[in-house]
Amino acid sequence: MRHRWTAVGLLGSGLLLAAPPPEVRSARLRVPFRAPGEPLEAGDVVVKVNGAAAKVSRLLRPGDELLLLIAVDLSGDLTLVDQARETLLKQVEALPPSVKVGLLRAGDELRVVEEPGASREALAAALQALTISARPGLLNSLEATQQLADSIAAKAQVRVATLWVSDSNVARYREDYTNPVVNSSDAGDMSRRFPEGLIQERIRQLTASLNRGETPVSLVHLQYQGDRLNTAYQTGLNDLVRSSGGASEFCRSVAEIPAAIEKAFADLLTQYTAEVEFRPTKTKQLDVAVETGDRAVQFRARRRLVDVTAKRSTE
Amino acid sequence: MQKAIEEFRVQSRRLGLVEGVAAQVTSGTGRKSRWHGRLFENFRNDFLDAVPHEVAQRGGKKNILRRNQFGVNLSGPVLIPKLFDGSRTTFFSLTYEGMREKTGRSSLNTIPTLAERTGDWSSVVDPAGEPLPIFDPASTALNAAFDAAQPVTASNLQYQRSPFPGNIMPAARLNPTARAAAQLYPAPNSDAGPFFRNNYFVFTPEVNSANGFIGRLDHTLNERHRLGGSLNYSKGLDGAAPVFANAANPGPVVRDRQSQRAGVEHTFTISPQQLNSFSIDVSSDRIVNLPETVNGRVFPNYKMGAYLPMGRANGELRSARQVFSIAEGYSTRWRQHRLRMAARWFRDQVNIYSPTYGEGSYRFGPGLTSLPGINNTGHAFSSFLLGQAEFAEQSIVLSPSYFRRSRYSLAISDQWEVFKGLVVSISVGLEMSGARQEKYDRQSTVALDALNPENGRPGALVAAGVGGQGRTFQPFLCKGEPSLGLAWNPLGSTRTVVRASYGRSYSAIPVYASQWGTQAFNGNPAWVSRNPQLEPAVILAASAPAGGRTFPDLRPESANNTIADLVESTGRQPTYQSFGLSLERELPNSLLLTAGVGHAHGRNLLLGNTASNPNAIPLTALEYRDQLNDEGFNRALRPYPQYQRFNVFSSWPEGRYQRDAGYVRLEKRSSAGLVLSTTYEVSKQLDNYSGPYGIQDYYNRANEWSLTSSNNPQRLTLTYSYEIPMGPNRLLFPVTDWRRYLVEGWSVSGVTTIVSGLPLALRPQFNNTGRVVDTLYVDVVPGADPHVAEATPERWFNPDAFAQPADFTVGDAARTHPSLRGPGAQNHDLSLNKRISLSIEKSVEFSMVGLNFINHANWADPDTMIGTAAAPNVNAGRIIGSRGGRVIQLGLRYSF
Repeated sequence: MRHRWTAVGLLGSGLLLAAPPPEVRSARLRVPFRAPGEPLEAGDVVVKVNGAAAKVSRLLRPGDELLLLIAVDLSGDLTLVDQARETLLKQVEALPPSVKVGLLRAGDELRVVEEPGASREALAAALQALTISARPGLLNSLEATQQLADSIAAKAQVRVATLWVSDSNVARYREDYTNPVVNSSDAGDMSRRFPEGLIQERIRQLTASLNRGETPVSLVHLQYQGDRLNTAYQTGLNDLVRSSGGASEFCRSVAEIPAAIEKAFADLLTQYTAEVEFRPTKTKQLDVAVETGDRAVQFRARRRLVDVTAKRSTE
Repeated sequence: MQKAIEEFRVQSRRLGLVEGVAAQVTSGTGRKSRWHGRLFENFRNDFLDAVPHEVAQRGGKKNILRRNQFGVNLSGPVLIPKLFDGSRTTFFSLTYEGMREKTGRSSLNTIPTLAERTGDWSSVVDPAGEPLPIFDPASTALNAAFDAAQPVTASNLQYQRSPFPGNIMPAARLNPTARAAAQLYPAPNSDAGPFFRNNYFVFTPEVNSANGFIGRLDHTLNERHRLGGSLNYSKGLDGAAPVFANAANPGPVVRDRQSQRAGVEHTFTISPQQLNSFSIDVSSDRIVNLPETVNGRVFPNYKMGAYLPMGRANGELRSARQVFSIAEGYSTRWRQHRLRMAARWFRDQVNIYSPTYGEGSYRFGPGLTSLPGINNTGHAFSSFLLGQAEFAEQSIVLSPSYFRRSRYSLAISDQWEVFKGLVVSISVGLEMSGARQEKYDRQSTVALDALNPENGRPGALVAAGVGGQGRTFQPFLCKGEPSLGLAWNPLGSTRTVVRASYGRSYSAIPVYASQWGTQAFNGNPAWVSRNPQLEPAVILAASAPAGGRTFPDLRPESANNTIADLVESTGRQPTYQSFGLSLERELPNSLLLTAGVGHAHGRNLLLGNTASNPNAIPLTALEYRDQLNDEGFNRALRPYPQYQRFNVFSSWPEGRYQRDAGYVRLEKRSSAGLVLSTTYEVSKQLDNYSGPYGIQDYYNRANEWSLTSSNNPQRLTLTYSYEIPMGPNRLLFPVTDWRRYLVEGWSVSGVTTIVSGLPLALRPQFNNTGRVVDTLYVDVVPGADPHVAEATPERWFNPDAFAQPADFTVGDAARTHPSLRGPGAQNHDLSLNKRISLSIEKSVEFSMVGLNFINHANWADPDTMIGTAAAPNVNAGRIIGSRGGRVIQLGLRYSF
């Protein structure tokens, strides 16, 4: 009996030693990018990962199906909100049938208002009925929205885009990002000489988190505000959006809102998604570059590989 | 697409984004069920700081500094296990902050020399370095040879008076109270000079502490109703570095402060087009002074010319201010109009006990030890040594005052999109303000049209609620406040915005934390010398002179012979108007250029006693020359001769100002982590009241129209923030191993301000105008250029271009010089931050904040005192020293 167990042990050890290590032959990655102008063909697009050309296994183009998630974060001025609402309605109505729109509301917390696939009439009614008396929710909802979009893109062969429409003001968040004076009698307080530190830190944290995902964030902010804290907030949002590969517009008057939203829609409609395969390396960093000849192209150039390879290698 | 929609449904439920479905994730995006916050500590110590330039120049060392500012913040949903789950409805935020500080304060002052304290003036000199004679008032005699038709001069004296032999006052002649008090002065310890001036450098510590708390709660009742509440509390002890280490300390007093705020807000979304908000706020701020006392009594206040005084005003003080407000707002949309209506009610309450001079205040002038009528003779401190005050007053406060006042405002505004690209904003408001009341009607003022029974002249005391007088002294005020603004995108381009605005507004008359206007109930007896060159008002004694009155004293003449509190009763209200025009243009590379001009002016601005005196003697009375030194004669020339003067307590509506400005601002919005904003402004502001010394002619405000003393004509401001692109996924040092913790997460922010100098206010050394002119200006020397070819600290301007006005004449220069300005100043503040990410939600941030981090020294303003031709101020036009020094704070914050 003892010999039999010894034999089994030896056999098992031999099998383990003889078995090849788990090998990842290739990793897959979706690379959303925007290239206004005439539609590109798969052959027009070169995606380089860490300097080496990767295989473009699929290219989803502007004419292909698009699932657009519109997230509204409105908590302030009725004039701005109404202007944004009207423009959104017009833009949604003008979308081709290949585009399905889901509506989310971010005030206080992120909520689905209308699932994608609903009729345009239902969507319009939901937009019209949106209430605005809420605390801004943009910063608390970006991660969840991106996670939702990434999951959809991973499961279905469609383009996925997110568009944020927000009138958020840093002072109206439920969290304390304004670093208010606590002890008014403290005359020697230097900690509020640069009061933007808290909001900058939050946005840096959020940027790092969003950089782990794939879907770009697009933002139309309805009211640019010039005070110091909001300048830091808006600057941070702009950085965050660009870092994700998206685009942002900040309106300085009500009159600018329609054009800003129209531009955001136009940009999103020109979004491509390239699915590429590449041989992963040991490096934890992934440099991605998209080349389309002499065409202007917007994409996120760098990303962290850690989560992507782990997930993709098991697919 | 169907697969995508299915996945949307699955994931949105998993993430808890659907009403009524709980989230199935607790990490990553599962922030909803988590609490977040931060712990922080900010640390300062004098070893981090530079020695301030003004201290280093006097050979001083750094002040001690030990400072810790620390706290914690926690926020998230309210969760009480098994009792309440507010993860979707109720959110809290709590912040505590504490501060402990031990620091030192330094200042340079002038105190009497040791010899002067014994009456030895043999080595004392005037500002020109010439011996300063001290005369014996006991030797005063009429000069039989005086020619009254000629001005008083050294060769035509009205009174003869002998100097003390050897310029030494005999010890037996010195007032015992004054001698004892003089011993409380510390010994001189500096010779910054010149001529014994700036001889006491103070360098003493103080301890400060504070503890504060802010709590906020936000609750969503349902889709249309939400409630918010906040509560703030702070308690602090403001230490005060003593100037003297005894009860005669003239420095600030230690204060105990406490403040509380609470508010509730309800927001009701009536429909997507209609919004209503309602809020109630309450605040309370309490201050209690903790003065040094001897046997339970504060030290009297002694004022002695340019010497550091002894004792202080408002040593004792207890005040509490409460503000209640209720606000209601309604917004709606109608076609292209967005309408907003707002109503607000305020209630101000001030409870105050403040005997300004509970143990009396005594003013000593040079006149009683001077050669009467001759400048540059005698000294205020020598008069003090003799105990001969030219003026004394005492505050007798029997009870606290409880002031109340209500204000209301109504406003309706419309934002109208006239056509695409043009939005007009119109607003009309009504600002209503009640007058100040006292809970027990313990208020009084002087009614300028009532006849005084003592002399039959206008001006008599009236008390609230007595003799037909209402409970208040001012009318109920109701004013309209219109405003108009537009934002226009010309030529249909949203890259360009033209903005224009106009506004007119009024400000309510404040309820001050002072017992001003309660004179019939809390007396303020005063003693005035009948001639400040000949006869003292009082002789200094161990206790204050008896007031000889009992309170309340509601007689119309009860304020006679005092500095009478005067409440302006016509209802004139500070009024402001402003116009603005700007052009914004977006440029390539994320640049935004804004250029604008603005004009603002105001009238009926509230002025204080240095800029307003309704009982002033007209300047034409200067022709009476030396007769003006006689108090009786002088008093008879005043509009209300029964009063010394009036105390208008920063509430006399006579001020005017005008400001014109143009600016250019260039902003670089975020690009590669860099944000820049720079603004250059040119402005010119004029007024008829500002300045460090007061005004010369109360009856001719047009003559007082000159540059505002605080107007920097040019100002450049630069703010920047740069996230240094180092570390993984960045341009520089994209390392991914352990070194990433060193190189990533660095950022720098800064603010730089560069301003040109302030207008110079020149003043003569002597004011021999028989107390007709409170603030005398200098004379301009015809043909002399006040500017120098190259301004240096040794000679910033030409003092020879100005002259001391002759006795009993006024200066012809402006209150502030139209072209002479002090040196400019610059300041550079910087913050360097390093963030270390511990996980997706946890991080540590180290910060270093440097105020004036390049340790730049800004020149002090030049000496603007102009002496006489015989005794010129040798420092006139010179800059003595500079100021400023680098201050560093280190901070550590852990966020989770």
